[in-house]
Amino acid sequence: MANPLLDVDSITVRRGMSTVLDNLSIHVERGETVALLGRNGSGKSTLLEACARLLPIESGSIHHDKVSVVRPDGARSVSPVVVGVTLQKNGAMGSETVQEHLESAMSAAGATTDLLPFLEGFNLSHRRSDAMAQLSQGQARKVAVLAGLLPAFVASTPALVLLDEPSTGLDTNARAQLIEWMEQLRSSGHGLLVSTHDQEVLDACTDAFEIQGDSKRLETDSTTPPNHTKMVSTTPCKKEQGGTFGVRHQLRTQAWLTHNGVAGLLTLGLLVVLGDVNAALSSTQSLGLVLAPAMAIGLSGEAMVNLGREERTHDWRRAVGLSTPHSSMLPLLLGSIFTAMASQAIVGEAPINHVMLGGLLSIGVAHSMRYLQHSVDRLARPNAVFVGLLTPVMLLPYALLIDWLG
Amino acid sequence: MKPRLGEWLLLTGFLGITSTLLLAFLWAPSVSLDAFESPAAQRLFYWHVPSAWAAFIAFGALFLGSAGWMFKRSERMWRLHVAGSEAGLATGLMTVWSGCVWGAAEWGTPWDWSDVRLNTFGLLTLLAVYLVLGRNSQPDGIETRDTFAGFGLYGFVLVPFTYIATRIWAIRHPGPVVGTGDEGSINGDMGLVLFLGALSFTALIMGHILTSMRITKCEQRIFQVQQVLDKEVL
Repeated sequence: MANPLLDVDSITVRRGMSTVLDNLSIHVERGETVALLGRNGSGKSTLLEACARLLPIESGSIHHDKVSVVRPDGARSVSPVVVGVTLQKNGAMGSETVQEHLESAMSAAGATTDLLPFLEGFNLSHRRSDAMAQLSQGQARKVAVLAGLLPAFVASTPALVLLDEPSTGLDTNARAQLIEWMEQLRSSGHGLLVSTHDQEVLDACTDAFEIQGDSKRLETDSTTPPNHTKMVSTTPCKKEQGGTFGVRHQLRTQAWLTHNGVAGLLTLGLLVVLGDVNAALSSTQSLGLVLAPAMAIGLSGEAMVNLGREERTHDWRRAVGLSTPHSSMLPLLLGSIFTAMASQAIVGEAPINHVMLGGLLSIGVAHSMRYLQHSVDRLARPNAVFVGLLTPVMLLPYALLIDWLG
Repeated sequence: MKPRLGEWLLLTGFLGITSTLLLAFLWAPSVSLDAFESPAAQRLFYWHVPSAWAAFIAFGALFLGSAGWMFKRSERMWRLHVAGSEAGLATGLMTVWSGCVWGAAEWGTPWDWSDVRLNTFGLLTLLAVYLVLGRNSQPDGIETRDTFAGFGLYGFVLVPFTYIATRIWAIRHPGPVVGTGDEGSINGDMGLVLFLGALSFTALIMGHILTSMRITKCEQRIFQVQQVLDKEVL
């Protein structure tokens, strides 16, 4: 018999000050649709997110197809199976188009397919090129549900699908379509774990698991697991890279300008206001001023971090196995340009070594800041923490670098 | 309510520090003009050095508490982390402020970005600011504790680095004056005042830590009682 697609063994998960899941075990086999039941606050979403590798566990283990993916020591591994996820939040940034988000979901499975039948199924074909921010809540929810199902549709091996309240916000027709797709996936050998209060969705499940007191499996439709069959024709594709996604959205939203560019511009402006001071400065001091705009660009951090906190986009991307978005080489370009301008303004020339140094400084500092910014992702209010307080940690290396180069 | 050990230590520390400052400004011998640009400002030494010593104790408590929470999930160690970060903030700022005033008088500049010890100590203090402000902006919970305990662990790497810096890289900041043998040691009376200052700051910081841990424990108890009340209302 094949290994369970999902095997949760005696996990304990804490959130805030509470222990939400205590010594809980559950498994999902190929060809099963397991409904998660329980009152509000019982831990359904917590269990789904733990299975999606988004939450640490205090004890126990979580396996995907016999491979440990989450351990109590904090270690997390890439899942060996394709995972489709729909969280309670939609997992898509407002600037993403419907098509882009669904293509991202499919790229996580390494294949693409024609989206039209799926969009028509949810009456979204006329909105495929629209940004998520332009959709109604119900339409956005449909996109999020599709993004959770599509990886399984295009996967070449049995996939694990984790859906958190997928029918919330869906109209009657959309709910019927959702149930039809869930059954198609189940009968093709995929495994689904679905948190739901919806009786129609519950009726479509083969098993139910109640999280309440003594968590237990309520009922099982014992059937022989179906063999995996592919349902749609697919084309292989590469996983979408975080840098590609990040640069696309930086350019689309002008975040590169409003976030980093303005910092460089203001710093450059301040330097220009100082006037012709180069004659009074040593070479070290001149170099420090020339590189200051590049440093400011880096210190202002990664715009994609805050953008990605919209609708838990970062979490969704992590759950399906995509890398978090970042600005890739943009800081290198910005840093080089602003260093060239500063060098011209202060020294009267722009040597190529200074320009390259500025670019490297910008990209190094910007990506270091990105890690600092992501360090607070687990907090309840990450935007309330002023990570900028730690930016002086970059100033000492900067000062030492200028000193050494000068 | 009967004062506890922490409160007695705090009181002792305050009295000791007050005495130290009085002795420093009124009794301790002056230094020669050959050795110092600003002999009057040098008297800040009796505040600056003991506060730095107390800051190291506080950062040590922060590290222990952070490690205890991360590896043992100990509630008491979390309270030590909280106390250590607050104590580190207070004493770190005392050290940095007094150092800047002294530096401005002695070196002509309040800060030197090329001095390793100054900057690593400044970073430690900034870390303490971040931990205190950050923790106060979040609800208490495992996510908050894991995040800030993690920072506490990483930040502690700077502590031995800062201490060793003066023995290897002494650039502008003077090297150690205690524990170096005859050369560089200080005059007896100065040593006495310094010793009193060190003892006083130690008492103060221990009192601060103990009292802070008790306050945090009370806050946790209030939270537990609120949860019980919430359940009864339901």
